[in-house]
Amino acid sequence: MKIEKSIILNLRWHRRIGLSLFLMVIFLALSGFALNHSVGLKLGNSKLSSDWLLSWYGLAPTANVGFELNSGNWLYQADDSKLFLDDQAIVQCMPPLLSAAELGQQIFALCDDALVMLTSQGQLIEKFTHLQGLPEDISSITVHSSMLYLHGISNVFAFDADRLTVTPTSIILPPSNTAPRPLPEALKEYLKAQGLSSSISLETLILDLHSGRFFGDAGVLFVDIVGVLLCILAITGLWAWVNHQRYRKDRG
Amino acid sequence: MNKKTLKSLLLMGSVLLTSLTSPLVIAKGVFQSGPDFIAEVFQQQPNAKVLWLTDDIRENAKVILDRPVMGLRVRYHQFDLTTAWIIEEIGKEMPITIGVVVTDNQIARVKILAYRESRGGEVRYPAYTKQYLGAALTDNHRLDQSIDGITGATLSVWAVNKVAALALYYHAQVTQGRDST
Repeated sequence: MKIEKSIILNLRWHRRIGLSLFLMVIFLALSGFALNHSVGLKLGNSKLSSDWLLSWYGLAPTANVGFELNSGNWLYQADDSKLFLDDQAIVQCMPPLLSAAELGQQIFALCDDALVMLTSQGQLIEKFTHLQGLPEDISSITVHSSMLYLHGISNVFAFDADRLTVTPTSIILPPSNTAPRPLPEALKEYLKAQGLSSSISLETLILDLHSGRFFGDAGVLFVDIVGVLLCILAITGLWAWVNHQRYRKDRG
Repeated sequence: MNKKTLKSLLLMGSVLLTSLTSPLVIAKGVFQSGPDFIAEVFQQQPNAKVLWLTDDIRENAKVILDRPVMGLRVRYHQFDLTTAWIIEEIGKEMPITIGVVVTDNQIARVKILAYRESRGGEVRYPAYTKQYLGAALTDNHRLDQSIDGITGATLSVWAVNKVAALALYYHAQVTQGRDST
């Protein structure tokens, strides 16, 4: 009687866990199969570039917009957050590229994490990051009377590029159009031809879904839990088999 | 649908719901700002100086970092024979911001100011960073002290080693009175 109870309890939990994991086990098996054969299936060559996926991964959407500088050059982001001046890749910069301006022989690009200073030829001079003192709420930059100004939510700051100092100012600046504009067709074609538009490979996506990383730490924890439950499933399965043998023996 | 099936479905549903509704956790740590680090080191805010990266410096920096150095200039702070550098280096995928203080061609302090990777953040603990104290640069641009690694944080350890060596090299450049303004 005791052994029958144990068998029933064990099988009940085995069934419950099995049913709970049904979809995940199928998904993990299929994604694992795909990853094992990713070379043959050419998953690394399949590029995904939908805007929501790129923004989920924190990448700039496919670069179709940028800032036209006074010199006629275009500053924009492409190839997974790299800053470009026309067809020249310069440096990684956290998207989005918020604003750009030209002052004398220097170009300034305001990214989400830093103010990037470049020569007019597109060489990186240095980056001025939030950690170094760039105020957090700067949304655009403007050149006025040979000075660079940073626009915050409530303040305007004068920026000294030589000393890397930011000084609050009460100056009233004329309104400036800082919105990005569509890139010229020639540049779009160039990016397409070079394969520089932002994208995620199908292999990366499947790997991140398989490991749970796609959903951050919570996803990883969830896959860990699924792993533990799979172990319990194996144990309860083995236990059911052992109990079944004992049951048959007891009944002769 | 019997009671047992209903219970099982509820269990499955709750497991799935937990995954879908859990907030996305982003591991990110900014431990100290650059100006605060400088103020802590010098008890004041000395003016930032600039080291322009000449071809010669770039060549040696490339040997230290195993990659070309970015930018045309580097900021640093100096008081007497002590210099402080804030340098970024990629660990695995994200940059680690590292503050290094050098006194008399030896490392006086290493501090991780910002760590952005999801793993390997153990390099920020003082138990690890104190290994760098007193380290100097050898002729082949490596640290003259062996640094114990951290399991699972190899790339971060390499990044800190490179930045420590680079700060020592930059320090030597500015205290020899060359290439600085």
